[in-house]
Amino acid sequence: MTAQTGTTGSVTGPVTPAAATASGGPDDRSPRGAGPGVSGGRVGSARRRQGRAAWILAIPFCLLFLAFTAWPVIQSLFMSITDTKARDLRKPFSVNIIGLDNFTKALSDPTFRKAAANTAYFVLVGMPLTLVLALTAAVALDKGITRFRAVFRLGFYMPVITSIVAVAVVWRFLLQEPGGLINTFLGWFGITGPNWLGDPNWSMPALIMMAAWRNFGTAMIIFLAGLQAVPAELHEAGAIDGASAWQRFRHVTLPLLRPTMLFVMVTTSIGYLQVFEEPFVMTKGGPLNSTMTVSYYTYQQFGFGNYALASAMSYIIFVVIAVVTALQFRLLRERT
Amino acid sequence: MRRTTAITVACMTATALTVTACGREADNGGSGAAQTGAAVSSGKATGEITVWAMGAEGDNLPKLTKEFEAANPGVKVKVTAIPWDAAHDKFTTAITAGKTPDVAMVGTTWMGEFAASDALDPTPAQVDKSAFFEGAQKTTEVNGTSFGIPWYVETRVLYYRSDLAKKAGYDAAPTDPQGLKDMAKAMQTKAGAKWGIGLQAGGEGSWQTLMPFAWSDGADLTKDGGKAYNFDSPEILKATKYYQSFFTDGISNKSAPATPTTEPDFAKGTVPMFISGPWMMSAVEKVGGAGFKDKYNVAPIPAGSAGSSSFVGGSNFVVFKNTKNRDTAWKFVNWLADPKVQSKWYTISTDLPSVKSAWQDPALASDKKLAVFGKQLETAKAPPSFPTWEQAIKGLDTELEKITKTGADPAAGLKTAQQQAESIGTGA
Repeated sequence: MTAQTGTTGSVTGPVTPAAATASGGPDDRSPRGAGPGVSGGRVGSARRRQGRAAWILAIPFCLLFLAFTAWPVIQSLFMSITDTKARDLRKPFSVNIIGLDNFTKALSDPTFRKAAANTAYFVLVGMPLTLVLALTAAVALDKGITRFRAVFRLGFYMPVITSIVAVAVVWRFLLQEPGGLINTFLGWFGITGPNWLGDPNWSMPALIMMAAWRNFGTAMIIFLAGLQAVPAELHEAGAIDGASAWQRFRHVTLPLLRPTMLFVMVTTSIGYLQVFEEPFVMTKGGPLNSTMTVSYYTYQQFGFGNYALASAMSYIIFVVIAVVTALQFRLLRERT
Repeated sequence: MRRTTAITVACMTATALTVTACGREADNGGSGAAQTGAAVSSGKATGEITVWAMGAEGDNLPKLTKEFEAANPGVKVKVTAIPWDAAHDKFTTAITAGKTPDVAMVGTTWMGEFAASDALDPTPAQVDKSAFFEGAQKTTEVNGTSFGIPWYVETRVLYYRSDLAKKAGYDAAPTDPQGLKDMAKAMQTKAGAKWGIGLQAGGEGSWQTLMPFAWSDGADLTKDGGKAYNFDSPEILKATKYYQSFFTDGISNKSAPATPTTEPDFAKGTVPMFISGPWMMSAVEKVGGAGFKDKYNVAPIPAGSAGSSSFVGGSNFVVFKNTKNRDTAWKFVNWLADPKVQSKWYTISTDLPSVKSAWQDPALASDKKLAVFGKQLETAKAPPSFPTWEQAIKGLDTELEKITKTGADPAAGLKTAQQQAESIGTGA
């Protein structure tokens, strides 16, 4: 803190070496300054000058960070232990501190629990599905598809860069019952498709399908990069030893892909734990709260003006994400 | 080392100060006696005022404010159009920052919240409150104090295909609930409709279709002198059972898509009846094509023991407390409530006037379908203006979804909704 005020002071005037040393504070505080000999002192002041320059350069970032990142985090954390409602926003500190009541209230709320279960369902089914799709597509692009590779790569990646609003309109048509493309397709095989978005049992699978389709492109690109880094010699060696293609994939490619896998799993699970857009644009959490997710429920609570409760819910999601991420790092760490 | 200690001490002091500064002040506003705003000066309006308005109203309003400027030379009305989606957030941010406009159009369900944040100016006595439809005027009142005016209104009535009704043996819509159900059934059996009537199977806003039936039986959404929610009254239970019977008897579609296809279904005749607001007239006529005007009609909600009632919605106009030009702001708002201005606004926007006498204007009086809305508005009711209303009613919407879709017990569902509403509290 003192370093900051010192440097701001010197910004106003030209920084001459003499002035810098004069205003640099007592030399005996610095361990280098206390060192014996003239050369040691010079090194010390040069270092201090460097340090000061570094602070000056870092100040804009620090201020922006404090104002726009740290402060909202602190305020929302503070909010989560108070009884703040929408009408308190004018006087954010004239609220009562109620400790962890918001957290217990959130955890005992049946809708929140239902939302948590739905989110878990979404992540536990959606993430493996996305990874399998992405890896399959990546392997196909790496080994199988040689013609129009760029076209396929673009095609698979397209959903990622398309607006969710446009995607939602198309998917609503696809999932329509009766007459939607998916159910028409199922009908050719004599299967009567469900009323995807209207049936509480099928709405979540429909959203998972859509999310996997929408997100596997990113994972695929990363897997593709990982696959291309697998040395061809290892595959050759494996082939000479008589390993089948599957064995080579299982025992050569997959272990080498572990760091890539970890990255993709962590980013996908963070994204899926916060799932919001799919229920927001497709179902509004319905039918019968079957697609209500924790993020969407939190958003609704903010909308109702329950800022304190919603902040507490956000921190619950945050903790869950932190724990899940830590678990993944443990499970997929390098075993040497 | 010393430095970190200093920082720690500073931070802890700051935190301690902040924490001790917390705690609510004695509740001001909200409760207490009804207030009336201070009188507004007479004479011409002067100076500049800023106005926020949403959606199509925001786009069209400048056409109207031009006339106010012409009538009051030197006055300048600056209209800012804001989209509906962003409006609520924009208002709360503006209230928090103290940067509200002078005058604004606000949704009727936001009144309680904004009044609770002490942002609105009470209506002065110059505004004639009895000129408005009673239900509409009620939407401006929070704890007995009126803030602003109802600007335009909408209400829900029954739409039916008159040509198909003839086939089903009906020349006019029935006026009692049982008759409505019989007619819907006849639409299926005699007029080839897939579903008799399109009713919302729970979900967001479905209470607006349920409550007209309950209000027609004399239901009240509040109890204890307007101090608490009242979702499980016998009247609402009766209406809910009636509403549920449409789904259990297969007259209404319990798994209708989340995005309703009301207009095309109505035009095709697959769902030849529904309950909705005035905007649906132009919507179905657009889909139905030329001549569709004569193929459908509107009718009041079937009357219960308390006559025919419905839901009144719309938008209000308010003056914010920290306006710098209060007199001009109120003069502008009062001008908007002028019957001539109201009917003029109808010709610009097709928004229905909230002022009763504006309905005598030939543009409105000559339209037979509009007259049904005008009649319904006289008895239509508004939900209570509690700040937590939207949250509380969401519980009822969710329960109604279970009742219609899974055949859950209406009494148990309403009880759950009531318990939730009680734990949320009115927020007033």
